[in-house]
Amino acid sequence: MLRTYGRFALRRTGQALVVVLLAYLFTFFVISILPGDPITSTLRNPDNGFTGDDIARIVAYYGLDQPWWVQLGSSLGRFVVGDLGVSLRSNLPVGTLVLDALGSTLSLAGAALLVAIVLAVVIAYGTQFLPPRFGQGALRSLPSLFLSVPNFVIGLLLIHVFAFGLGLFSMIDTETPWGTFFAAVALGIPVSAQLAEVLIASLDHESRQEYVAVARSRGLGQGALFLRHLVKPSALPTVTVLALIVGELLGGALITEAIFGRVGIGTLVEQAVASQDLPVLQAVVSLAAIVFVLVNLIADLAYPLLDPRVSIGSRGRTVAAPAAEEPAPLLREEVSIV
Amino acid sequence: MTTRFRRLLGVASALTVGAVLLSGCGAGTAAGPAENAAPKPGGDLVFLIDSLGATWIPNNSSISSYQGQIWGNVTDKLVYVDAEGNLSPWIAESWDENADKTQFTLHLKEGVTFSDGTPLDAAAVVANIDIWAKGRPDEGINRIGLFPSANYAGAEAVDATTVKVSFSAPTLSFIPTLAYHGSILLSPATLALPADQQADLTKDIGSGPFTVEKVAEGDSVVLKKRDDYDWGPEAVGHEGAAYLDTITYKQVAEPTLRTASVESGQAQVAYNASPQDLDALKQEGLTVETPRYLGFVNGYALNTSVAPFDDVKVRQAVQHGIDRDQILSTVYTTDWHAAESLFQSTVPEATDHSADFAYDPDKAAALLDEAGWTKGADGVRTKNGQKLSFTLYPNPYLQASQSVDELVDQQLTSLGFEVNLETYDVPTYGQKVIGNATIPATEITRSFVDVGTVAGVLTSQKKGDEDWFKLGTSDATLNDLATRIATATDRDARAKVADELQSYVLQQGYFVPLTQIVQRVYVQSPEVSGVSYNGLAYAYYLGTWLNS
Repeated sequence: MLRTYGRFALRRTGQALVVVLLAYLFTFFVISILPGDPITSTLRNPDNGFTGDDIARIVAYYGLDQPWWVQLGSSLGRFVVGDLGVSLRSNLPVGTLVLDALGSTLSLAGAALLVAIVLAVVIAYGTQFLPPRFGQGALRSLPSLFLSVPNFVIGLLLIHVFAFGLGLFSMIDTETPWGTFFAAVALGIPVSAQLAEVLIASLDHESRQEYVAVARSRGLGQGALFLRHLVKPSALPTVTVLALIVGELLGGALITEAIFGRVGIGTLVEQAVASQDLPVLQAVVSLAAIVFVLVNLIADLAYPLLDPRVSIGSRGRTVAAPAAEEPAPLLREEVSIV
Repeated sequence: MTTRFRRLLGVASALTVGAVLLSGCGAGTAAGPAENAAPKPGGDLVFLIDSLGATWIPNNSSISSYQGQIWGNVTDKLVYVDAEGNLSPWIAESWDENADKTQFTLHLKEGVTFSDGTPLDAAAVVANIDIWAKGRPDEGINRIGLFPSANYAGAEAVDATTVKVSFSAPTLSFIPTLAYHGSILLSPATLALPADQQADLTKDIGSGPFTVEKVAEGDSVVLKKRDDYDWGPEAVGHEGAAYLDTITYKQVAEPTLRTASVESGQAQVAYNASPQDLDALKQEGLTVETPRYLGFVNGYALNTSVAPFDDVKVRQAVQHGIDRDQILSTVYTTDWHAAESLFQSTVPEATDHSADFAYDPDKAAALLDEAGWTKGADGVRTKNGQKLSFTLYPNPYLQASQSVDELVDQQLTSLGFEVNLETYDVPTYGQKVIGNATIPATEITRSFVDVGTVAGVLTSQKKGDEDWFKLGTSDATLNDLATRIATATDRDARAKVADELQSYVLQQGYFVPLTQIVQRVYVQSPEVSGVSYNGLAYAYYLGTWLNS
């Protein structure tokens, strides 16, 4: 068993490294085929008054006059030894920039995930046990409402009401607990929608099973039924979705951070893309690839613990497959009913 | 499905109404002007800015509209330039120049120190002038683009407060350059740092009324008042240290959030609002400042080497075919002004030549008739089978450029032109438009320190000249005017040449002025008093206080 686990982990790590390398190469080529380079486009602003010779010397300093394979080689060489280089935009070390931004994004994403889970569980619980008359139907439509309202609209509403209207937090310092909380709500709401949909779908599925009826007939209370019998089997598809949500959180963070004026990975990416700041982009894309691969690996490893029916086969691929496919038909079935 | 949709709409509109009501309450409390209150020390000013720009390396960033705001309050300059373009002493108490304007002697104020305690003496000034003129490009540090580097021969410290600067040719622009936003005085210790350390703003030491207290990269910069500051420019009319305790520059990318923060009292200044929003903001009791800067007006430099602008009559038809009042009333507000020449009217040498390009569609049509362009059935004029057609490329460096070009397109189309618009982002514009000799009309937005700079853009008599109208050296009159401007040794005599030059360029239809540029818009809470704007339209907070 342990051996299989070890071989499996090793293979997955290898795959992860390939994914990270491919992401790195892809970023490099996408930026390289864009017109111009960041230094020239800044210096070429006619208001700066630089001649072609001035610009050429600065461009040479950054090595941007070299052919692409030389630039790629030196960039990869630095990356392999852990040197993330210097930002072309700010001239500050990329490592420092990424680390500073990471703290802010992690607290935002972590809080948003919490908000999303709490919201999703509350909604899902309500759909199972709230009498239809008292808004069960409305609860069931909440996820689609959450998904259809754009992230930035929620963010702007929250800012206007709670920052400008009620003065609970200030746009000047949005990293305060209240500021982080409202940013997390803005980011967490659409994420909770996906979680809730899956949770509701699998709860519906499980509650139709015979063992639930048996449990009910034995006089088990609602809370106990939910916790003891329904949550665990429903958790499996939810974990799958949770792993996917990491991507959602990273993507949503970009908009949320921009609206709330927070400096995080999202704003770092946005600025780096706008100014073609290749070293920063490559660091962030690689980081995102690493995080994504890691989270999915953890999810894969968690399946057998949640459901003994999922076993580790000798080939890594079969581990994830049944778990990932299982909730899919449920989802489709439920969506058509709602 | 439909009931669910209705329910969704209901929730959304309830939320929106709630938000509007609540934010309305916030706005109400912010108003209440207290003009003409006596200055009072203390207070923290929050300035919301769209971006904090790219790098903090002083030579590479001080020219930027974003970082320039902060540099202006952290550093001093040798010379001050006011909103009318007048020069006055600052760190240089006075200056002498030789008859042929190749040698300048600067006499420095005594007792000025950088915030690290080192004196701002002649040696420090020499170190600064040297790096403005040459930079260290092999180490990633630019020279200052607008410094007259081509003629620069060197600077030397004669004694502790006297600096002698030499040029190889007459350089009347030298003293005005010292007032420009790039020419900021920094501690020699800062200048000696490598690029990656100069990029750390906390290591950049100036002698200004504020020092850098805290930097959160890409988020905010906090400045703190320097208590022993006592060498502000006389022209600003404030002695001693600043009133404000701190200034916080906070990046807020979304423009409506910037202005709403000022409305709700969370911040005092919002930088760069859209022109269309300004009237509404004024009605809510906010102050809107739109200082102009020195330079060229916004307009088109026409390419005389390609059709249809190789004909003077077609160029003049464009000049008279554009309704500038309509541009001002449609795209801008009353804070913007129509162009009177090819220079902004704040330039000391600018003279009123608006008659040469006044809106007159009948005259424009007559000029096109005379030139042989006749209207076809589709309303487009043709001549020898060629359409009267050209392409405009909106200037991505100017915010409202595309709206202006769309309006010009409409106006010229009714005269029988066929105008195409092609819009590019900054990098693509740099590749496809800048330096491309076949572009028929280049939209200009350009600041300059000194009218002497103008010579280098009109013709191509020496290397590095920009040759805006693609005339080369074919226009003897223009060559002569440009040379006389460039080599002038007397400001009054040069002003007369500048007047001749404006008149000639406009009458030849080489340049089509549109509007005077406002590149920096400040939306302010009424509690802010005593802000001064220099000739480059930057807000200077030495004499500013909050009367809340």
